[in-house]
Amino acid sequence: MKVKLYVVSAAAALLLAAVPMMAHHSFAAEFDGNKPITLKGTVTKVDWMNPHIWVYLDVKDDSGAVTAWQCEGGPPNTLTRNGWTKDALKKGDTITIDGSLAKDGSKTCNARAVKLPDGRSVFAGSSGGDAPTAKQ
Amino acid sequence: MTKRFLSSVGVGLCLTISAFAQQGAAPARGAATPARGNGAPRGPKAPEGPAPKMADGKPDFSGLWQRPYVPDMTKSSRGGDQKGMAELPFTPWGEKEWKAYDAEKGDYTGACLPFGLVRSMNSPDPIQIMQNKTYMSLLYEQNTWFKVIPIDGRPHRKGTPTWFGDSVGHWEGDTLVVDTVNFNGRTRLDTIGHPHSDQLHVVEKFSRPDLGHINYEITIDDPKTFTKAWTNTRVFTLRPDWEIMEYSCEENNKSFWEGRIKVPKYEDQ
Repeated sequence: MKVKLYVVSAAAALLLAAVPMMAHHSFAAEFDGNKPITLKGTVTKVDWMNPHIWVYLDVKDDSGAVTAWQCEGGPPNTLTRNGWTKDALKKGDTITIDGSLAKDGSKTCNARAVKLPDGRSVFAGSSGGDAPTAKQ
Repeated sequence: MTKRFLSSVGVGLCLTISAFAQQGAAPARGAATPARGNGAPRGPKAPEGPAPKMADGKPDFSGLWQRPYVPDMTKSSRGGDQKGMAELPFTPWGEKEWKAYDAEKGDYTGACLPFGLVRSMNSPDPIQIMQNKTYMSLLYEQNTWFKVIPIDGRPHRKGTPTWFGDSVGHWEGDTLVVDTVNFNGRTRLDTIGHPHSDQLHVVEKFSRPDLGHINYEITIDDPKTFTKAWTNTRVFTLRPDWEIMEYSCEENNKSFWEGRIKVPKYEDQ
């Protein structure tokens, strides 16, 4: 498994207009919508706490080196109202996260989508057009 | 939903979002329709019936209300429950403030400082309204804040300017008009960062056409920032199937603790 940094395509650029709901703070304060990232790794921990959930995962590169990443998800209250619980994702689960990189260069991302190997999305509802679009 | 996405953001996005929406694992327990879309219709149908009244015959706005998220007050929602002000009438000072705004240099909400009145009304989390003859209380789930508004027609109090300002209400027929002044000027109107000054004057109008809805109008009047007053209108939906939840902004605000979000620098500090 390796970290893949994708070039922004037209479709991806449009998709970024629907970055995750950031009710608590501005997306642009922390993340770069022009730096999409896909992470494949193993869940080490889930913080199911306000103001946003965080998913921690170990990502192994081609040489076998493991890097710890952390990705911000939606607000737990919204996720709860959509029927999700912390147990939807467990330590040891293999997941793929599509998201945006933090601006500070740390191993931090904003998760737009979290998927299990069989393609099922976890925490659906954390993403979806509620976030601000780019400043005009 | 598909047609709406097609018309608004193009085929590529449509296919991607639709796939995402449809592949979702079954939620752990039964739940309302996922809250996605900027103000699009969500959840079950609103309860039907006449608007409840207080003993004095005035409308009773009590209940837990779902509201459209308004991250940008210039925009209108696809679902029609939020009408924005397309072009803001900036003064030169307002224009300068808007163009200079950079959330990366300071985001007070990310630092868990009070959202203030307007941005609290723009947040996506529900509000619980409790009301008697003298007061209407707004319990914001966002960060577990509240506001208690006298609605008996008394004048504004004089005091230190605050994040939420000083609100007083009076009735115009069956419409409750809430007037708010004395803001500290440290907030932004919306998530995208539209500015205001300490001269901000907000007028909110609440009316309840039926059991399931509140018609809400908010007028922004700030002569330092805007050349004229402007208005947004929204519809709130009653959610008897929800209860208000705890929301601690500080509980796990990693983004702030780890330095990715910064506190703005205010001129008087």
